[in-house]
Amino acid sequence: MSALLDVIASILFGGTLMMIILTATDIAAESQATHSGDMLVQELLTNTAQLVEGELRNMGFGVPEGESAVLRAEESRIHFLADIDRDGVIDTMKYSLGDTTEMRDTQNELDRPLKRQINNGAVLSVGSVTTFRLRYLTREGTPLASPVPSDQLAEIHMVEVSMEVQNPYAPTRDPEMVGSGERNALYSTSLWQQTRLASQNTRR
Amino acid sequence: MTTGQTILTIGAFMFLTTILMNFYQVVANTGDTIASGQDGILATTIASSYMEIAQGLAFDEITDTSTVALANASALTSPSLLGHDSGEDSLALYDDFDDFNGATLDKQALGTNRIYRTQFIVSYVNPDNLLQTLSSRQFVKRLDLKTWRVFPPAKSALDLDTVKTSLVLGYWHFD
Repeated sequence: MSALLDVIASILFGGTLMMIILTATDIAAESQATHSGDMLVQELLTNTAQLVEGELRNMGFGVPEGESAVLRAEESRIHFLADIDRDGVIDTMKYSLGDTTEMRDTQNELDRPLKRQINNGAVLSVGSVTTFRLRYLTREGTPLASPVPSDQLAEIHMVEVSMEVQNPYAPTRDPEMVGSGERNALYSTSLWQQTRLASQNTRR
Repeated sequence: MTTGQTILTIGAFMFLTTILMNFYQVVANTGDTIASGQDGILATTIASSYMEIAQGLAFDEITDTSTVALANASALTSPSLLGHDSGEDSLALYDDFDDFNGATLDKQALGTNRIYRTQFIVSYVNPDNLLQTLSSRQFVKRLDLKTWRVFPPAKSALDLDTVKTSLVLGYWHFD
């Protein structure tokens, strides 16, 4: 009788132990995938942000006083003037957001290309983002309605850029664990938001 | 089960519990470290935004509307009076660089519930040594910013990083 109780107790303890180890392994795998995704999106975001930040930083550089540096201002599209290559010739820079259908080959259904064009050159994708939102403010900080009418372009003093990046691939979740309105994979998200002057050296 | 076996079993479970606790601690710490990376990105962008705004302002209240200070540094704002002038009590109303002095501004990152606080100090600095603040009027000012997350609050002060950065603005002209 005593031996039988020992066996039953051992099975119970052993089963509990096995359950704990299996759960811990699952958690470790999921955490590893999530953390890798978080790191990846932060790297993707900073890479894309560095380019956008650098060029927006030069918005209006070389443009004669009194001329508007911004040529087109929409919620996810901006055309501006700047002497980007510092050759004395003012360039037209165009940033715009592509469509989700252009990135069908990725698992994430929300990512889309961020496009950049200099003058009449080729339109190139400079990164993959899920949000690229622009807000235009006057010198007093009043937001302008978007798209900004051409007669108000000269009133743009600051441009606020918000960008969100998610990883293109992520570990899928157990369908039983996916609640209403939730996504079926563990996508990581990283945000970047910055305000830039529409023209350098506006005051002294 | 003998007493020895029972003690051995209890010891084994204690050992297992310790390993599991360490394991979960490591997982949680890794998550916190990566989350603080996002905080760093947002705090940096917010600090950069303030610096960008500051860079577009006049060097001094007097240089906003006149050039009298070009030949006369004593026309600049007194070091003890650096700060926003009466009526300029919001960021949108700031019209010169030192209006930021003493200000504390909160900003919520768009699309999140995170709120970041920034403290500003503006000082005159030695043009030959930008790290040295001076109590006399100079043609160079330095804006020091400290940005950190105030919401959601950190579990402890050790879990929160503060982004510290500075911007130097000089007043000059071409002859």
